[in-house]
Amino acid sequence: MIVETQKKFAVEIVYNGVTKPFEVESEERVAALLQQAIAVFRITQQPHLLSLFRQDGTLVPEGESVERAGLKPHEVLLLRPNAVKGGGGRLHLAAHVMSDTFGVLRRCGRGVRECAVFWTGPTDGQLVDNVEHPRHTSSIAGYQIDDSWLTAFWLRLAASRRSVKVQVHTHPGLAFHSAVDDGWPIVSHEGFLSIVIPNFATGEASLDCAWVGQLQANGRWRQLACPAEAISA
Amino acid sequence: MSAIQELDRTILLCRDYVSETATGEQIAFGLRSARVLCISDMRNLSSHSGQTALVTLVCLLTRMGMQVSIDIPEVPMLGPQPPLKGRLLRSALIGANGTLISAAAVHGEPCSEPDLIFVLGDTVIGDRYAWRLSGDDWHGEVSLQAGTRSSRWTASWPVGSMISAALAAAEAFKFTILRLPFRDPADRVFFTPSFSCGWSFGPLAVPAGPLDLGDVDVISAGAICQAALYVLVRLPGVSMRGRVFDDDVTSRPNLNRNMLSRVGDVDLKKVLVIARECGSRFQLEPIAERFGGRVNSHKLAPRVIVGVDDIPSRWAVQRVTPGWLGVSGTSHFSVSSSAHAPGEPCCGCLHPVDEETGANPIPTISFVSFWAGLALTVRLMAEALRTPFHRNRQHLWLAPLRMDGEHAAMWSPVAVRHDCPVRCPLSSRNLPSMEVHRISAETPSSERGA
Repeated sequence: MIVETQKKFAVEIVYNGVTKPFEVESEERVAALLQQAIAVFRITQQPHLLSLFRQDGTLVPEGESVERAGLKPHEVLLLRPNAVKGGGGRLHLAAHVMSDTFGVLRRCGRGVRECAVFWTGPTDGQLVDNVEHPRHTSSIAGYQIDDSWLTAFWLRLAASRRSVKVQVHTHPGLAFHSAVDDGWPIVSHEGFLSIVIPNFATGEASLDCAWVGQLQANGRWRQLACPAEAISA
Repeated sequence: MSAIQELDRTILLCRDYVSETATGEQIAFGLRSARVLCISDMRNLSSHSGQTALVTLVCLLTRMGMQVSIDIPEVPMLGPQPPLKGRLLRSALIGANGTLISAAAVHGEPCSEPDLIFVLGDTVIGDRYAWRLSGDDWHGEVSLQAGTRSSRWTASWPVGSMISAALAAAEAFKFTILRLPFRDPADRVFFTPSFSCGWSFGPLAVPAGPLDLGDVDVISAGAICQAALYVLVRLPGVSMRGRVFDDDVTSRPNLNRNMLSRVGDVDLKKVLVIARECGSRFQLEPIAERFGGRVNSHKLAPRVIVGVDDIPSRWAVQRVTPGWLGVSGTSHFSVSSSAHAPGEPCCGCLHPVDEETGANPIPTISFVSFWAGLALTVRLMAEALRTPFHRNRQHLWLAPLRMDGEHAAMWSPVAVRHDCPVRCPLSSRNLPSMEVHRISAETPSSERGA
């Protein structure tokens, strides 16, 4: 007797109460199906936390193929976070912020020295809608913010109920957080973000090659796997 | 500014889908500009369930910042309706004007051109289209109708009425958010009106007489536990004793979902708010400490309900809970609710991963948090009535936005995990794979409430 395995079949994935069909192949990785589902449902909120679950409550292992994971035709899968605690809010960038940032960093640094900007937004909320270019000195190996400018900046923020959401600065070559960067963030509360742009920001105006880190409760910086973990453009 | 602060978490949740071109102020204005009219006649308000449906709906709507007007007769309250004050229903509702969210009004004069109309039961309003709330002891529904096809509220057991109110509040929110610009128009599918939907947690008996839940500890005095206690305090004949653990104070961004809190409670310890609002029914000792550390050494009650966001805290509670544990949480527009009796997979098996999100605020909204608390209380009642949910229903994942969807609710067993962070007895046994397969075989292809 010849047993024919179904190579291509449909499953259903549920998100936010909405069910959509997906065609899968038996050799396809579950991770690919998961990414496809995240894309089809257009999920931008912490997609890295999402997993696929069967109706028996078990996790569908992302490292397996569809066949080895035991997915069956017409099976209904639930797309939900693996960790359920409400999720953290990502920062939302106003449309002009990225281009303004790179514009300032390039004009000021001229491809030969570091520069820094601060992303600010209303204190209440996750919106980033302004790029502050501080008065500073800089060289190929570092920058220093002017103290009097910083004092005036804090007063201005307080008066306008705004806050610094992210610090952004450039490096001459690779993007990384140096010991100085680790020790001297402009804001030191848990969750604060720091971004380092490589090559004095002379490359593409995006965070694709940037180092993005988040300050942890223990005072250490954790590099994020991708900027989308904390920022949506 | 206070309105923005009070709606901050709701605005944050709207940001999941609303375009970046909309400012926080514009989103808040969108919520606050919604005008909702709630109508009921005397007959539908002659039952505790009818009154509870109306009060819960008004509370959920105002906590989203909406402007509510009520067209109802004055009637005496048939049971406690905290955080409302007084003995007359209409006066108490009007008295809530500006007290739940500063900028959310409750008017006694019917709005002439409402955006939405909600009607209780079989109240006659002519041929106008309106969302009708109906149901019975444990079942609630909402449907958009012109004319009257719904039944009158008569039950004294109010769980179904609170379900219908939560369903209705979701429809009001969907109407409102659809007036805002979306980042991606395709996302509007999540906010499509559910023109007719209902929900029941399953066949459960109404207690024949007084029911003493005994000692129950409440871990967290936040939104989910406030919702759970909001429900519990409305259940006729139910009594309990216990402690509420939380070190936090009420802040303005809590008001969008903390069902027992009022504007005047800002800066007051949350445990004191709960003790005050539930004090007429339950003996709840407020313990203004975070569960953990010194308090961790305290012996917990035989029944514990948990509404904390922090996953390691859930694990800590599970490790020292001697008996039954109920857990609820929310994630954006979804709800997770589970129960863990001795001998069952624990909450560590269900939530084995901590989420490192730093100190970012959590997006929330009134009706989602309320569903989480409601589900928690129903599980507690089922446990107390000695009719706990079947193992196939140990976990419920609920999507309150689209309760008309075939898979809006997914019940499932909790699978035992070898790597359970709680190291519960089942996880350290050497048979989880067999256990998982046995449970899987019992799982229906699709289960949801009637």
